[in-house]
Amino acid sequence: MLKIENLRVRVDGKEILQGLTLTIPTGEVHAVMGPNGSGKSTLANVLAGRPGYEVTAGSVSFDGRDLLALAPEERARNGVFLGFQYPVEIPGVNNVYLLKAAVNAARKHRGLEEVDAFEFLTLVKEKMRLMRMEDSMLSRGVNEGFSGGEKKRNEILQMLVLEPRLAILDETDSGLDIDALKVVAHGVNTLRSAERSLVLVTHYQRLLDYIVPDHVHVLVKGRIARSGDKSLALELEKRGYDWVSGEAA
Amino acid sequence: MSAALSKRLLDEYAAARESLPAAVVDPARRQEAIQALAAGGFPTTRDENWRYTNLRPLERARLAPVAAPSSAPNLPPGLARFARYAFVDGAFVPALSAPEEQAGLTVRRQPGALPPLSTLPEARLALLNEAFATDTAAIHVSAAGGEPARVELIFVALGGAETGTSYPRVQINLDPSSHLILVERHVSADGGASFVNSSVNVDLGRGAHLTHYRLQQAGARATWLDTLSAVLGADARYALLAVNTGALSARSTTHVRMAGPGAELALSVAALGDRQQVQDNFALVEHVAPRARTEQTFRGIASGRARVAFNGKIAVGEAASGTDSRQSLRGLLAGPEAEIDVRPQLEIYTDDVRCSHGATAGKLDDNMLFYLLSRGLSAEVARRLLKWAFLEDVVSKIEIPDLRRHIEHELAGQMADAASLKELL
Repeated sequence: MLKIENLRVRVDGKEILQGLTLTIPTGEVHAVMGPNGSGKSTLANVLAGRPGYEVTAGSVSFDGRDLLALAPEERARNGVFLGFQYPVEIPGVNNVYLLKAAVNAARKHRGLEEVDAFEFLTLVKEKMRLMRMEDSMLSRGVNEGFSGGEKKRNEILQMLVLEPRLAILDETDSGLDIDALKVVAHGVNTLRSAERSLVLVTHYQRLLDYIVPDHVHVLVKGRIARSGDKSLALELEKRGYDWVSGEAA
Repeated sequence: MSAALSKRLLDEYAAARESLPAAVVDPARRQEAIQALAAGGFPTTRDENWRYTNLRPLERARLAPVAAPSSAPNLPPGLARFARYAFVDGAFVPALSAPEEQAGLTVRRQPGALPPLSTLPEARLALLNEAFATDTAAIHVSAAGGEPARVELIFVALGGAETGTSYPRVQINLDPSSHLILVERHVSADGGASFVNSSVNVDLGRGAHLTHYRLQQAGARATWLDTLSAVLGADARYALLAVNTGALSARSTTHVRMAGPGAELALSVAALGDRQQVQDNFALVEHVAPRARTEQTFRGIASGRARVAFNGKIAVGEAASGTDSRQSLRGLLAGPEAEIDVRPQLEIYTDDVRCSHGATAGKLDDNMLFYLLSRGLSAEVARRLLKWAFLEDVVSKIEIPDLRRHIEHELAGQMADAASLKELL
């Protein structure tokens, strides 16, 4: 589904991704781990199309299309979802407006009618229960006054409602206590399917206890330094990133 | 003021004076106003507090009032439970009005005692209104009714500037402990370049409560000038909320005097400018009695080549100990050629006060924008949605659901030619 080849990306003139190659087949869950500054978030952001990330070489194809040629909103409508590391607060735009606008944008892209307002609300409320969110959050501003954990749950709620083909979750586990982590992981797991791929960007192995990946990659200095199955994450937990960094050097 | 304009002012007044109704403003007061204006001159953009106002239309407009309207325009629907009084080119039109008996409410066309003429330089366009006014909506509310009185005033500008100026004029007197909800709307019947110069006087007795919504929806070629002066007695509460979207050139001057201890003012203004529009707002709040509170909120958006300004001055006198004032002024620049200016000013002559102010002017937040794009919204819809959200601090304060819906649609229409935002309402 996603094929990244020799990707080089600069941010503020500094090369962060230095020839990254990674393939994510349909239906698989891949974890991308790595120390601070290794380029994990850059990878997530460049896939979603955030401005300020300059691709100097390489390619990214998504379902055979050139992902990098698409505007961020087109990527979203084609089924790419980024779960933000730091979801922004947008006071005055309420959560349900955003969800509905997002769903309708994707439906329009696929040539479908707009969602029925009542059915939509029923669906959203069902997903909210899954995420243990209060109904009252719907009428609040997007992430407005939400705690760190609530923001992350809201990201997953959006993902559940949008049902993307490819979800990239950027440190969704950071700032979560163990209960919230379980709720978030459960939400993510309900979306696992043979048609959908997930990329989990994370520092820690802990998340992977709850969302078990098919593959684990370690990112060091902007390149994949090592790949393996879920046992790689456990080994990293034991030996630290220096182990891989040392090998990569 | 140019000598030519000054001469024209006096000439036009001399020609019109005989026909101006003495019951609305007595001739001596008119004379006093015209002399004060001729002596002080019209403001110019060289005056610090007028530099955003487009005063050029003054040079061209006929200052004498428009003759009685020849046709009756279609009005937007009224609000449920509100007594409606309609004025066309400044003159009351009974056929378009729907008065309603309400306990304690009196609406007349003859004013009661008028306050002395303002000597505030920023209020001098009110002198022009004093001199030429043709009609008045004089609202008096006593505390007889338990329910608040509800009045809608709608002012329609029909003629173009060459046919004369229209002078909407409102006087509001609230007896102690009385309560009025007033909706004041200014619209144009067509796209004519009408010239409007309105004047509103508000006098709130002890413990009186006025909720006042002002909608400036003048036509796209109109010049709209406005002066509101209010005096608040002890413990009076005044919630003044203005939404300014119309006119080519608009200037609104608001002068509120917190004369009684414990008075409260909530002044909220939303202004939207696009294309070549000018939306200039000046607000002076004078605290002269102890323990009064002011809360000022401004949200303005300038798109296209528009200029949007809010100059909010709060003056706290020696006797105004315990004053609590807050200003939150924010401007959004939504076009490379647009201009926005938000200016809080504080003048404090006593120690025991709490005054805070925040003023920001900036562009749409890139992070917010990207967040919306990453959810599949188009750049255009995302921008509109963020602009919409920006105004929410003012719009959310509208307590009448019908009115709020109307304003939301008006704002959505102003921001979007597509229906994309409306469907979110």
